[in-house]
Amino acid sequence: MSDWQNSPPAEDWTIDELMIARLAACFADGDQACNGMASFVPVSAFWLARLTHAPDLVWLAGAVGLEPRPDRVPASTLEAPLWRDSIMYVEQYGDFWTIALNGRWLTKFCVGSAQLDRFGNGNNSIIGTDYHAPRVRLPGTAGLGDMGSIGKALYYWNPNHNPRSLVENVDFISCAGYLGGGSERADAGLEGGPELVITNLCVLDFHPDTRHMQVASLHPGVTFDQVQEATGFELPAPEGRLPTTAVPTVEQVRLIREVIDPDNMRRREFGG
Amino acid sequence: MSAEKLATLEDAAALVRDGDTVAIQNMATQAAPMALVRELIRQGRKELGVVCLVGGIPVDWLAAAGAINRLIGAAVSMEQFGLCQRYRKAVESGAIRVEELSETALNARLGAGARNLPFLPTRGLIGTDLIDVNDNLVMLDDPFGGPSVVACKALIPDVALVHAHKADRFGNIGYEPTALWPDLGIMPKAATTVIVTVEEIVDSEVLRADPDRTVLPGFMVDAVVEAPFGAHPTSFFPRYGYDTAMHLEWIGSARDDEAVAGFMEKYVTGPADHAAYLEVVGGAERLAAVEAWE
Repeated sequence: MSDWQNSPPAEDWTIDELMIARLAACFADGDQACNGMASFVPVSAFWLARLTHAPDLVWLAGAVGLEPRPDRVPASTLEAPLWRDSIMYVEQYGDFWTIALNGRWLTKFCVGSAQLDRFGNGNNSIIGTDYHAPRVRLPGTAGLGDMGSIGKALYYWNPNHNPRSLVENVDFISCAGYLGGGSERADAGLEGGPELVITNLCVLDFHPDTRHMQVASLHPGVTFDQVQEATGFELPAPEGRLPTTAVPTVEQVRLIREVIDPDNMRRREFGG
Repeated sequence: MSAEKLATLEDAAALVRDGDTVAIQNMATQAAPMALVRELIRQGRKELGVVCLVGGIPVDWLAAAGAINRLIGAAVSMEQFGLCQRYRKAVESGAIRVEELSETALNARLGAGARNLPFLPTRGLIGTDLIDVNDNLVMLDDPFGGPSVVACKALIPDVALVHAHKADRFGNIGYEPTALWPDLGIMPKAATTVIVTVEEIVDSEVLRADPDRTVLPGFMVDAVVEAPFGAHPTSFFPRYGYDTAMHLEWIGSARDDEAVAGFMEKYVTGPADHAAYLEVVGGAERLAAVEAWE
Protein backbone atom coordinates (compact mmCIF):
# COMPACT_ATOMS: atom_id res chain seq x y z
CA MET A 1 0.00 0.00 0.00
CA SER A 2 1.16 3.50 -0.81
CA ASP A 3 2.14 6.04 1.86
CA TRP A 4 -1.04 8.00 1.40
CA GLN A 5 -1.39 9.16 5.00
CA ASN A 6 1.68 11.39 4.99
CA SER A 7 1.20 12.82 1.53
CA PRO A 8 1.00 16.62 1.31
CA PRO A 9 -1.68 18.51 -0.64
CA ALA A 10 -1.01 18.48 -4.37
CA GLU A 11 -0.36 21.75 -6.15
CA ASP A 12 -1.15 20.67 -9.70
CA TRP A 13 -4.50 18.95 -8.99
CA THR A 14 -7.28 19.25 -11.52
CA ILE A 15 -11.01 19.49 -10.84
CA ASP A 16 -11.75 15.90 -11.82
CA GLU A 17 -9.15 14.71 -9.32
CA LEU A 18 -10.59 16.90 -6.57
CA MET A 19 -14.10 15.54 -7.17
CA ILE A 20 -12.83 11.95 -7.21
CA ALA A 21 -10.93 12.44 -3.93
CA ARG A 22 -13.96 14.10 -2.29
CA LEU A 23 -16.28 11.30 -3.38
CA ALA A 24 -13.75 8.67 -2.29
CA ALA A 25 -13.87 10.14 1.23
CA CYS A 26 -17.59 9.23 1.40
CA PHE A 27 -16.80 5.51 1.24
CA ALA A 28 -15.29 3.47 4.07
CA ASP A 29 -14.17 -0.05 4.88
CA GLY A 30 -17.24 -2.21 5.33
CA ASP A 31 -19.24 -0.35 2.69
CA GLN A 32 -20.26 -1.89 -0.59
CA ALA A 33 -20.31 0.29 -3.69
CA CYS A 34 -21.65 -0.31 -7.18
CA ASN A 35 -21.53 1.68 -10.40
CA GLY A 36 -23.62 1.95 -13.52
CA MET A 37 -23.07 3.32 -17.01
CA ALA A 38 -20.66 6.16 -17.86
CA SER A 39 -19.59 6.49 -14.22
CA PHE A 40 -15.92 7.38 -14.45
CA VAL A 41 -15.88 9.65 -11.38
CA PRO A 42 -17.51 7.06 -9.04
CA VAL A 43 -15.41 4.19 -10.42
CA SER A 44 -12.22 6.21 -9.92
CA ALA A 45 -13.38 7.22 -6.42
CA PHE A 46 -14.10 3.63 -5.32
CA TRP A 47 -10.76 2.53 -6.69
CA LEU A 48 -8.92 5.42 -4.98
CA ALA A 49 -10.62 4.63 -1.66
CA ARG A 50 -9.57 0.97 -1.98
CA LEU A 51 -5.95 1.97 -2.63
CA THR A 52 -5.87 4.34 0.37
CA HIS A 53 -8.18 4.62 3.37
CA ALA A 54 -10.69 1.87 2.57
CA PRO A 55 -8.91 -1.26 1.29
CA ASP A 56 -11.93 -3.36 2.31
CA LEU A 57 -14.50 -1.29 0.44
CA VAL A 58 -16.36 -3.88 -1.64
CA TRP A 59 -16.90 -2.95 -5.26
CA LEU A 60 -19.61 -4.39 -7.50
CA ALA A 61 -18.44 -3.23 -10.91
CA GLY A 62 -21.22 -2.47 -13.37
CA ALA A 63 -23.53 -4.01 -10.74
CA VAL A 64 -22.45 -7.42 -12.04
CA GLY A 65 -18.78 -8.04 -11.18
CA LEU A 66 -17.65 -8.51 -7.57
CA GLU A 67 -14.15 -7.30 -6.69
CA PRO A 68 -12.97 -6.71 -10.26
CA ARG A 69 -9.33 -6.24 -11.21
CA PRO A 70 -9.24 -4.04 -14.31
CA ASP A 71 -5.76 -2.82 -15.17
CA ARG A 72 -7.07 0.73 -15.69
CA VAL A 73 -10.38 2.55 -16.11
CA PRO A 74 -11.66 1.42 -19.53
CA ALA A 75 -13.80 3.34 -22.03
CA SER A 76 -16.99 1.83 -20.59
CA THR A 77 -17.90 1.37 -16.94
CA LEU A 78 -20.44 -1.30 -17.86
CA GLU A 79 -18.53 -3.46 -20.33
CA ALA A 80 -16.44 -6.58 -19.73
CA PRO A 81 -12.99 -4.91 -19.58
CA LEU A 82 -14.12 -3.49 -16.21
CA TRP A 83 -15.52 -6.69 -14.67
CA ARG A 84 -14.01 -9.62 -16.55
CA ASP A 85 -11.62 -10.65 -13.74
CA SER A 86 -14.19 -10.46 -10.93
CA ILE A 87 -14.33 -13.00 -8.13
CA MET A 88 -18.07 -13.49 -8.76
CA TYR A 89 -20.45 -12.62 -11.54
CA VAL A 90 -23.50 -11.35 -9.70
CA GLU A 91 -26.56 -12.41 -11.66
CA GLN A 92 -28.57 -9.24 -11.93
CA TYR A 93 -32.18 -10.35 -11.79
CA GLY A 94 -31.90 -12.58 -8.78
CA ASP A 95 -28.73 -11.56 -6.96
CA PHE A 96 -27.89 -7.92 -7.59
CA TRP A 97 -31.35 -6.57 -6.86
CA THR A 98 -31.70 -8.84 -3.84
CA ILE A 99 -28.45 -7.40 -2.48
CA ALA A 100 -29.60 -3.85 -3.23
CA LEU A 101 -33.14 -4.26 -1.88
CA ASN A 102 -32.24 -6.16 1.26
CA GLY A 103 -31.23 -3.06 3.20
CA ARG A 104 -28.10 -4.40 4.84
CA TRP A 105 -25.82 -3.89 1.88
CA LEU A 106 -25.05 -1.24 -0.69
CA THR A 107 -26.32 1.48 1.63
CA LYS A 108 -24.71 4.23 -0.46
CA PHE A 109 -25.28 4.94 -4.13
CA CYS A 110 -23.73 7.44 -6.55
CA VAL A 111 -26.15 9.16 -8.92
CA GLY A 112 -25.48 11.07 -12.11
CA SER A 113 -28.56 12.99 -13.17
CA ALA A 114 -29.31 15.26 -16.12
CA GLN A 115 -31.38 17.52 -13.85
CA LEU A 116 -31.18 17.83 -10.07
CA ASP A 117 -33.41 20.13 -8.05
CA ARG A 118 -33.17 22.06 -4.77
CA PHE A 119 -34.62 19.13 -2.80
CA GLY A 120 -32.34 16.55 -4.38
CA ASN A 121 -34.83 15.02 -6.79
CA GLY A 122 -33.19 13.68 -9.95
CA ASN A 123 -34.44 13.53 -13.53
CA ASN A 124 -33.09 11.32 -16.30
CA SER A 125 -36.47 10.85 -18.01
CA ILE A 126 -37.67 13.85 -20.01
CA ILE A 127 -37.24 17.59 -20.47
CA GLY A 128 -40.55 19.32 -21.05
CA THR A 129 -44.01 19.33 -19.53
CA ASP A 130 -45.68 16.37 -21.26
CA TYR A 131 -44.23 12.95 -20.47
CA HIS A 132 -45.68 11.48 -23.69
CA ALA A 133 -44.53 14.37 -25.91
CA PRO A 134 -41.26 15.50 -24.35
CA ARG A 135 -39.10 18.29 -25.70
CA VAL A 136 -36.11 16.03 -25.01
CA ARG A 137 -36.17 12.32 -24.33
CA LEU A 138 -33.40 11.48 -21.84
CA PRO A 139 -32.01 7.93 -21.46
CA GLY A 140 -34.37 6.84 -18.68
CA THR A 141 -34.31 6.09 -14.99
CA ALA A 142 -32.61 2.65 -15.13
CA GLY A 143 -31.65 1.83 -11.53
CA LEU A 144 -32.06 5.37 -10.18
CA GLY A 145 -35.81 5.01 -9.92
CA ASP A 146 -35.14 2.18 -7.49
CA MET A 147 -32.14 3.51 -5.60
CA GLY A 148 -33.90 6.79 -4.74
CA SER A 149 -36.77 4.95 -3.04
CA ILE A 150 -35.16 2.06 -1.17
CA GLY A 151 -33.34 3.78 1.69
CA LYS A 152 -29.99 4.49 0.12
CA ALA A 153 -27.80 7.47 0.97
CA LEU A 154 -27.47 9.20 -2.41
CA TYR A 155 -24.30 10.94 -3.56
CA TYR A 156 -24.85 13.01 -6.67
CA TRP A 157 -21.90 13.93 -8.81
CA ASN A 158 -22.16 16.70 -11.41
CA PRO A 159 -19.07 17.67 -13.41
CA ASN A 160 -20.97 20.46 -15.18
CA HIS A 161 -22.56 22.71 -12.56
CA ASN A 162 -24.87 25.08 -14.48
CA PRO A 163 -28.44 26.43 -14.27
CA ARG A 164 -29.69 23.73 -16.66
CA SER A 165 -28.47 20.85 -14.53
CA LEU A 166 -29.18 22.37 -11.09
CA VAL A 167 -32.77 23.55 -11.30
CA GLU A 168 -35.45 24.79 -8.92
CA ASN A 169 -37.81 21.92 -9.80
CA VAL A 170 -36.98 19.00 -12.03
CA ASP A 171 -39.31 18.63 -15.02
CA PHE A 172 -40.04 15.06 -13.93
CA ILE A 173 -38.97 13.09 -10.86
CA SER A 174 -37.28 9.88 -11.93
CA CYS A 175 -35.14 9.56 -8.78
CA ALA A 176 -36.81 10.40 -5.48
CA GLY A 177 -34.91 12.90 -3.32
CA TYR A 178 -36.62 14.88 -0.58
CA LEU A 179 -39.63 15.38 -2.91
CA GLY A 180 -41.21 18.75 -1.89
CA GLY A 181 -38.80 19.23 1.00
CA GLY A 182 -39.34 19.21 4.75
CA SER A 183 -40.78 15.89 5.92
CA GLU A 184 -42.28 14.90 2.54
CA ARG A 185 -39.83 12.10 1.90
CA ALA A 186 -40.30 10.60 5.35
CA ASP A 187 -44.07 11.05 5.09
CA ALA A 188 -43.99 8.99 1.89
CA GLY A 189 -42.48 6.16 3.94
CA LEU A 190 -39.02 6.53 2.39
CA GLU A 191 -35.80 6.20 4.35
CA GLY A 192 -32.34 7.45 3.36
CA GLY A 193 -32.10 10.19 0.78
CA PRO A 194 -29.64 12.63 -0.78
CA GLU A 195 -26.52 13.25 1.32
CA LEU A 196 -24.16 15.24 -0.84
CA VAL A 197 -23.87 16.84 -4.25
CA ILE A 198 -20.30 17.07 -5.51
CA THR A 199 -19.92 19.42 -8.49
CA ASN A 200 -17.03 21.03 -10.33
CA LEU A 201 -17.57 24.19 -8.24
CA CYS A 202 -18.50 23.09 -4.75
CA VAL A 203 -19.94 20.49 -2.42
CA LEU A 204 -23.57 20.87 -1.39
CA ASP A 205 -25.61 19.14 1.28
CA PHE A 206 -29.20 19.37 2.50
CA HIS A 207 -30.56 21.35 5.46
CA PRO A 208 -31.68 18.84 8.12
CA ASP A 209 -35.14 20.44 8.50
CA THR A 210 -36.07 22.09 5.22
CA ARG A 211 -34.10 19.54 3.14
CA HIS A 212 -33.15 22.41 0.83
CA MET A 213 -29.80 22.15 -0.92
CA GLN A 214 -27.06 24.40 0.53
CA VAL A 215 -23.36 24.93 -0.06
CA ALA A 216 -21.23 22.85 2.30
CA SER A 217 -17.80 23.82 0.94
CA LEU A 218 -16.40 25.80 -1.96
CA HIS A 219 -13.63 24.41 -4.11
CA PRO A 220 -10.42 26.47 -3.98
CA GLY A 221 -10.75 29.73 -5.93
CA VAL A 222 -14.54 29.52 -6.27
CA THR A 223 -16.80 32.13 -4.63
CA PHE A 224 -20.34 31.72 -3.32
CA ASP A 225 -21.52 34.26 -5.92
CA GLN A 226 -20.05 32.15 -8.71
CA VAL A 227 -21.89 29.09 -7.41
CA GLN A 228 -25.12 31.07 -7.10
CA GLU A 229 -24.78 32.31 -10.68
CA ALA A 230 -24.30 28.76 -11.93
CA THR A 231 -27.32 27.46 -9.99
CA GLY A 232 -30.91 27.59 -11.23
CA PHE A 233 -32.42 28.37 -7.83
CA GLU A 234 -31.64 30.59 -4.88
CA LEU A 235 -29.16 29.05 -2.47
CA PRO A 236 -29.43 29.90 1.25
CA ALA A 237 -26.93 32.62 2.16
CA PRO A 238 -24.06 31.03 4.07
CA GLU A 239 -23.84 31.71 7.79
CA GLY A 240 -20.28 32.88 8.18
CA ARG A 241 -17.34 31.82 6.10
CA LEU A 242 -17.79 28.67 4.02
CA PRO A 243 -15.08 26.01 4.32
CA THR A 244 -12.84 25.23 1.36
CA THR A 245 -13.01 21.71 -0.08
CA ALA A 246 -9.84 19.75 0.70
CA VAL A 247 -7.62 19.37 -2.35
CA PRO A 248 -6.33 15.91 -3.27
CA THR A 249 -2.91 14.89 -1.99
CA VAL A 250 0.18 14.33 -4.11
CA GLU A 251 -0.29 10.59 -3.65
CA GLN A 252 -3.99 10.66 -4.56
CA VAL A 253 -3.21 12.58 -7.74
CA ARG A 254 -0.42 10.13 -8.59
CA LEU A 255 -2.70 7.15 -8.06
CA ILE A 256 -5.44 8.63 -10.23
CA ARG A 257 -3.08 9.61 -13.05
CA GLU A 258 -0.70 6.67 -13.06
CA VAL A 259 -2.56 3.69 -11.63
CA ILE A 260 -6.32 4.16 -11.88
CA ASP A 261 -6.99 6.16 -15.02
CA PRO A 262 -3.89 6.74 -17.13
CA ASP A 263 -6.10 7.07 -20.24
CA ASN A 264 -7.98 10.06 -18.74
CA MET A 265 -11.39 8.47 -19.23
CA ARG A 266 -12.67 10.59 -16.33
CA ARG A 267 -12.20 13.73 -18.41
CA ARG A 268 -15.00 12.54 -20.71
CA GLU A 269 -17.53 13.56 -18.08
CA PHE A 270 -16.39 17.18 -18.00
CA GLY A 271 -17.25 20.08 -20.28
CA GLY A 272 -20.62 18.68 -21.42
CA MET B 1 -37.26 -37.76 -27.43
CA SER B 2 -36.91 -34.01 -27.61
CA ALA B 3 -38.11 -31.96 -30.54
CA GLU B 4 -35.65 -30.44 -32.97
CA LYS B 5 -35.57 -26.63 -32.75
CA LEU B 6 -33.03 -25.77 -35.43
CA ALA B 7 -34.25 -23.06 -37.78
CA THR B 8 -32.94 -20.62 -40.32
CA LEU B 9 -32.69 -16.97 -39.33
CA GLU B 10 -35.38 -16.19 -41.88
CA ASP B 11 -37.84 -18.75 -40.52
CA ALA B 12 -37.11 -17.87 -36.90
CA ALA B 13 -37.69 -14.16 -37.49
CA ALA B 14 -40.94 -15.04 -39.27
CA LEU B 15 -42.29 -16.22 -35.89
CA VAL B 16 -42.49 -12.53 -34.99
CA ARG B 17 -45.71 -10.92 -36.28
CA ASP B 18 -46.47 -7.30 -37.00
CA GLY B 19 -47.69 -5.66 -33.80
CA ASP B 20 -45.97 -8.14 -31.45
CA THR B 21 -44.36 -7.06 -28.19
CA VAL B 22 -40.78 -8.29 -28.48
CA ALA B 23 -38.40 -8.58 -25.52
CA ILE B 24 -34.81 -8.01 -26.65
CA GLN B 25 -31.77 -8.99 -24.63
CA ASN B 26 -29.44 -5.97 -24.53
CA MET B 27 -27.38 -3.96 -22.08
CA ALA B 28 -26.27 -0.71 -23.74
CA THR B 29 -23.46 -2.03 -25.98
CA GLN B 30 -23.70 -5.67 -24.90
CA ALA B 31 -25.25 -8.99 -25.84
CA ALA B 32 -28.02 -7.99 -28.25
CA PRO B 33 -29.46 -10.56 -30.71
CA MET B 34 -28.49 -8.33 -33.61
CA ALA B 35 -28.73 -10.91 -36.41
CA LEU B 36 -32.40 -11.38 -35.51
CA VAL B 37 -32.98 -7.63 -35.24
CA ARG B 38 -31.49 -7.10 -38.70
CA GLU B 39 -33.63 -9.92 -40.11
CA LEU B 40 -36.80 -8.42 -38.61
CA ILE B 41 -35.95 -5.13 -40.32
CA ARG B 42 -35.17 -6.93 -43.61
CA GLN B 43 -38.56 -8.66 -43.42
CA GLY B 44 -40.23 -5.27 -42.93
CA ARG B 45 -41.85 -5.99 -39.58
CA LYS B 46 -44.05 -3.09 -38.37
CA GLU B 47 -45.69 -1.73 -35.22
CA LEU B 48 -43.56 -3.78 -32.89
CA GLY B 49 -43.28 -3.03 -29.20
CA VAL B 50 -39.84 -3.49 -27.65
CA VAL B 51 -39.14 -4.61 -24.10
CA CYS B 52 -35.57 -4.07 -22.94
CA LEU B 53 -33.59 -3.37 -19.81
CA VAL B 54 -31.10 -0.94 -21.35
CA GLY B 55 -31.64 -0.76 -25.09
CA GLY B 56 -28.80 0.32 -27.36
CA ILE B 57 -28.14 0.10 -31.08
CA PRO B 58 -30.87 -2.49 -31.84
CA VAL B 59 -33.50 -0.06 -30.53
CA ASP B 60 -32.02 2.75 -32.61
CA TRP B 61 -31.95 0.63 -35.79
CA LEU B 62 -35.52 -0.56 -35.25
CA ALA B 63 -36.56 3.07 -34.71
CA ALA B 64 -34.68 4.13 -37.85
CA ALA B 65 -36.53 1.44 -39.82
CA GLY B 66 -39.89 2.63 -38.49
CA ALA B 67 -40.47 -0.86 -37.09
CA ILE B 68 -41.49 0.06 -33.52
CA ASN B 69 -44.18 2.23 -32.00
CA ARG B 70 -43.74 1.52 -28.28
CA LEU B 71 -41.02 0.66 -25.81
CA ILE B 72 -41.12 -0.74 -22.29
CA GLY B 73 -37.77 -0.42 -20.58
CA ALA B 74 -35.52 1.10 -17.93
CA ALA B 75 -33.23 3.08 -20.24
CA VAL B 76 -32.13 3.51 -23.84
CA SER B 77 -28.50 4.50 -24.25
CA MET B 78 -25.35 3.42 -26.04
CA GLU B 79 -23.32 4.60 -23.03
CA GLN B 80 -20.01 5.97 -24.35
CA PHE B 81 -21.59 6.44 -27.79
CA GLY B 82 -24.38 8.59 -26.41
CA LEU B 83 -28.14 8.66 -26.74
CA CYS B 84 -29.95 6.70 -29.43
CA GLN B 85 -30.85 9.60 -31.71
CA ARG B 86 -33.38 7.91 -34.01
CA TYR B 87 -35.23 6.50 -31.02
CA ARG B 88 -35.09 9.85 -29.27
CA LYS B 89 -36.42 11.69 -32.31
CA ALA B 90 -39.28 9.19 -32.70
CA VAL B 91 -40.23 9.53 -29.02
CA GLU B 92 -40.14 13.33 -29.19
CA SER B 93 -42.37 13.28 -32.29
CA GLY B 94 -44.83 10.90 -30.65
CA ALA B 95 -44.08 8.00 -33.03
CA ILE B 96 -42.84 5.82 -30.16
CA ARG B 97 -44.67 5.71 -26.83
CA VAL B 98 -42.47 4.94 -23.83
CA GLU B 99 -43.35 3.03 -20.69
CA GLU B 100 -40.33 3.83 -18.54
CA LEU B 101 -39.79 1.47 -15.62
CA SER B 102 -37.11 1.18 -12.99
CA GLU B 103 -35.12 -2.04 -13.13
CA THR B 104 -37.00 -3.67 -10.24
CA ALA B 105 -40.35 -2.64 -11.75
CA LEU B 106 -39.42 -4.15 -15.13
CA ASN B 107 -38.19 -7.29 -13.39
CA ALA B 108 -41.42 -7.42 -11.37
CA ARG B 109 -43.62 -7.07 -14.46
CA LEU B 110 -41.70 -9.82 -16.27
CA GLY B 111 -41.45 -11.95 -13.12
CA ALA B 112 -45.21 -11.82 -12.66
CA GLY B 113 -45.68 -12.72 -16.33
CA ALA B 114 -43.29 -15.66 -16.00
CA ARG B 115 -44.96 -17.00 -12.83
CA ASN B 116 -48.57 -16.56 -13.88
CA LEU B 117 -49.24 -13.91 -11.21
CA PRO B 118 -51.39 -10.78 -11.75
CA PHE B 119 -48.60 -8.56 -10.45
CA LEU B 120 -45.49 -8.49 -8.29
CA PRO B 121 -44.66 -5.63 -5.93
CA THR B 122 -41.59 -3.43 -5.69
CA ARG B 123 -40.47 -0.74 -3.28
CA GLY B 124 -38.67 1.08 -6.08
CA LEU B 125 -40.19 4.14 -7.79
CA ILE B 126 -42.15 5.35 -4.74
CA GLY B 127 -42.08 9.15 -4.75
CA THR B 128 -41.23 9.41 -8.46
CA ASP B 129 -43.52 10.71 -11.21
CA LEU B 130 -43.14 7.42 -13.11
CA ILE B 131 -46.03 5.83 -11.23
CA ASP B 132 -48.52 8.56 -12.18
CA VAL B 133 -47.92 8.25 -15.93
CA ASN B 134 -48.21 4.45 -16.00
CA ASP B 135 -51.45 2.47 -15.69
CA ASN B 136 -49.44 -0.72 -15.15
CA LEU B 137 -48.11 0.58 -11.80
CA VAL B 138 -50.46 1.05 -8.84
CA MET B 139 -49.69 1.93 -5.21
CA LEU B 140 -50.89 -0.87 -2.97
CA ASP B 141 -51.39 -1.05 0.80
CA ASP B 142 -49.49 -3.82 2.51
CA PRO B 143 -52.19 -6.25 3.69
CA PHE B 144 -49.95 -7.03 6.66
CA GLY B 145 -49.81 -3.42 7.80
CA GLY B 146 -46.36 -2.37 6.57
CA PRO B 147 -45.46 0.46 4.19
CA SER B 148 -47.14 0.65 0.80
CA VAL B 149 -45.60 -0.99 -2.25
CA VAL B 150 -45.97 -0.55 -6.00
CA ALA B 151 -47.93 -3.30 -7.75
CA CYS B 152 -46.36 -3.96 -11.17
CA LYS B 153 -48.79 -5.62 -13.60
CA ALA B 154 -47.72 -8.86 -15.25
CA LEU B 155 -46.05 -8.44 -18.63
CA ILE B 156 -46.06 -11.32 -21.10
CA PRO B 157 -44.10 -10.40 -24.22
CA ASP B 158 -45.20 -12.18 -27.39
CA VAL B 159 -41.63 -13.05 -28.24
CA ALA B 160 -38.22 -12.95 -26.53
CA LEU B 161 -35.06 -12.66 -28.63
CA VAL B 162 -31.91 -13.95 -26.98
CA HIS B 163 -28.33 -14.47 -28.08
CA ALA B 164 -26.26 -17.18 -26.38
CA HIS B 165 -22.94 -18.96 -26.79
CA LYS B 166 -24.09 -22.51 -27.49
CA ALA B 167 -27.11 -24.65 -28.03
CA ASP B 168 -27.82 -28.19 -29.06
CA ARG B 169 -30.30 -28.87 -31.85
CA PHE B 170 -33.04 -29.43 -29.26
CA GLY B 171 -32.80 -25.81 -28.10
CA ASN B 172 -31.04 -26.37 -24.78
CA ILE B 173 -29.09 -23.14 -24.36
CA GLY B 174 -25.57 -22.99 -22.92
CA TYR B 175 -23.92 -19.85 -21.64
CA GLU B 176 -20.20 -19.38 -21.11
CA PRO B 177 -19.11 -17.69 -17.87
CA THR B 178 -20.08 -14.02 -18.11
CA ALA B 179 -22.16 -11.38 -16.42
CA LEU B 180 -25.79 -12.42 -16.46
CA TRP B 181 -28.18 -9.56 -17.09
CA PRO B 182 -31.85 -9.90 -16.17
CA ASP B 183 -32.75 -10.16 -19.84
CA LEU B 184 -31.63 -13.75 -19.73
CA GLY B 185 -32.80 -14.38 -16.17
CA ILE B 186 -36.43 -13.54 -16.77
CA MET B 187 -37.39 -12.30 -20.26
CA PRO B 188 -37.47 -15.66 -22.04
CA LYS B 189 -39.39 -17.20 -19.14
CA ALA B 190 -42.11 -14.57 -19.42
CA ALA B 191 -42.45 -14.57 -23.21
CA THR B 192 -44.86 -16.76 -25.17
CA THR B 193 -42.36 -17.53 -27.93
CA VAL B 194 -38.59 -17.71 -27.48
CA ILE B 195 -36.09 -17.38 -30.32
CA VAL B 196 -32.40 -17.88 -29.62
CA THR B 197 -29.41 -17.27 -31.83
CA VAL B 198 -26.14 -18.85 -30.78
CA GLU B 199 -22.50 -18.57 -31.67
CA GLU B 200 -22.40 -22.29 -32.35
CA ILE B 201 -24.63 -25.36 -32.41
CA VAL B 202 -22.96 -28.11 -30.43
CA ASP B 203 -23.62 -31.74 -29.65
CA SER B 204 -25.74 -32.27 -26.52
CA GLU B 205 -22.71 -33.97 -24.95
CA VAL B 206 -20.98 -30.58 -24.82
CA LEU B 207 -23.81 -29.21 -22.68
CA ARG B 208 -23.85 -32.34 -20.51
CA ALA B 209 -20.22 -31.72 -19.63
CA ASP B 210 -21.22 -28.41 -17.96
CA PRO B 211 -24.93 -28.68 -17.09
CA ASP B 212 -24.73 -25.77 -14.63
CA ARG B 213 -24.06 -23.56 -17.64
CA THR B 214 -27.28 -24.56 -19.37
CA VAL B 215 -29.46 -21.49 -18.82
CA LEU B 216 -32.61 -22.31 -20.76
CA PRO B 217 -34.21 -25.73 -21.24
CA GLY B 218 -35.08 -26.76 -24.77
CA PHE B 219 -38.80 -27.04 -24.03
CA MET B 220 -38.87 -23.28 -23.39
CA VAL B 221 -37.28 -22.49 -26.74
CA ASP B 222 -39.19 -22.38 -30.03
CA ALA B 223 -36.36 -21.85 -32.48
CA VAL B 224 -32.59 -21.89 -32.29
CA VAL B 225 -30.38 -20.47 -35.03
CA GLU B 226 -26.64 -20.69 -35.49
CA ALA B 227 -25.36 -17.15 -36.06
CA PRO B 228 -21.68 -16.68 -35.29
CA PHE B 229 -20.99 -13.06 -34.34
CA GLY B 230 -24.77 -12.80 -34.03
CA ALA B 231 -24.48 -10.01 -31.43
CA HIS B 232 -22.21 -7.84 -33.60
CA PRO B 233 -21.77 -4.82 -33.34
CA THR B 234 -22.56 -5.27 -29.63
CA SER B 235 -20.16 -7.25 -27.48
CA PHE B 236 -20.61 -10.84 -26.42
CA PHE B 237 -18.27 -11.75 -23.62
CA PRO B 238 -16.02 -13.67 -23.64
CA ARG B 239 -16.17 -14.20 -27.41
CA TYR B 240 -15.85 -10.65 -28.77
CA GLY B 241 -15.98 -6.98 -27.90
CA TYR B 242 -18.26 -4.22 -29.14
CA ASP B 243 -17.40 -2.74 -32.52
CA THR B 244 -16.32 0.81 -31.72
CA ALA B 245 -15.89 1.79 -35.37
CA MET B 246 -19.42 0.73 -36.31
CA HIS B 247 -20.97 2.47 -33.30
CA LEU B 248 -19.07 5.62 -34.26
CA GLU B 249 -20.18 5.30 -37.88
CA TRP B 250 -23.76 4.95 -36.69
CA ILE B 251 -23.73 7.97 -34.36
CA GLY B 252 -22.02 9.92 -37.14
CA SER B 253 -25.00 9.13 -39.39
CA ALA B 254 -27.86 9.10 -36.93
CA ARG B 255 -28.79 12.79 -36.99
CA ASP B 256 -29.08 12.95 -40.78
CA ASP B 257 -31.96 11.22 -42.61
CA GLU B 258 -30.01 10.61 -45.81
CA ALA B 259 -26.98 9.25 -43.94
CA VAL B 260 -29.25 6.96 -41.93
CA ALA B 261 -30.85 5.63 -45.12
CA GLY B 262 -27.40 4.95 -46.55
CA PHE B 263 -26.22 3.22 -43.40
CA MET B 264 -29.31 1.03 -43.16
CA GLU B 265 -29.06 0.04 -46.83
CA LYS B 266 -25.37 -0.78 -46.52
CA TYR B 267 -25.48 -2.80 -43.31
CA VAL B 268 -29.03 -3.88 -42.57
CA THR B 269 -31.36 -4.16 -45.56
CA GLY B 270 -28.70 -4.51 -48.26
CA PRO B 271 -26.87 -7.68 -47.20
CA ALA B 272 -28.96 -10.72 -48.19
CA ASP B 273 -28.24 -12.65 -45.01
CA HIS B 274 -26.11 -12.77 -41.88
CA ALA B 275 -23.04 -14.10 -43.71
CA ALA B 276 -23.29 -11.27 -46.23
CA TYR B 277 -23.56 -8.78 -43.36
CA LEU B 278 -20.35 -10.08 -41.80
CA GLU B 279 -18.57 -9.61 -45.15
CA VAL B 280 -19.85 -6.04 -45.50
CA VAL B 281 -18.66 -5.29 -41.98
CA GLY B 282 -15.13 -6.22 -43.00
CA GLY B 283 -15.00 -9.99 -42.97
CA ALA B 284 -12.40 -12.07 -41.18
CA GLU B 285 -10.04 -9.18 -40.52
CA ARG B 286 -12.65 -7.04 -38.76
CA LEU B 287 -14.04 -10.00 -36.82
CA ALA B 288 -10.56 -10.93 -35.60
CA ALA B 289 -10.22 -7.39 -34.28
CA VAL B 290 -13.45 -7.57 -32.26
CA GLU B 291 -12.42 -11.00 -31.01
CA ALA B 292 -9.27 -9.35 -29.67
CA TRP B 293 -11.44 -6.69 -27.90
CA GLU B 294 -9.69 -3.97 -29.93
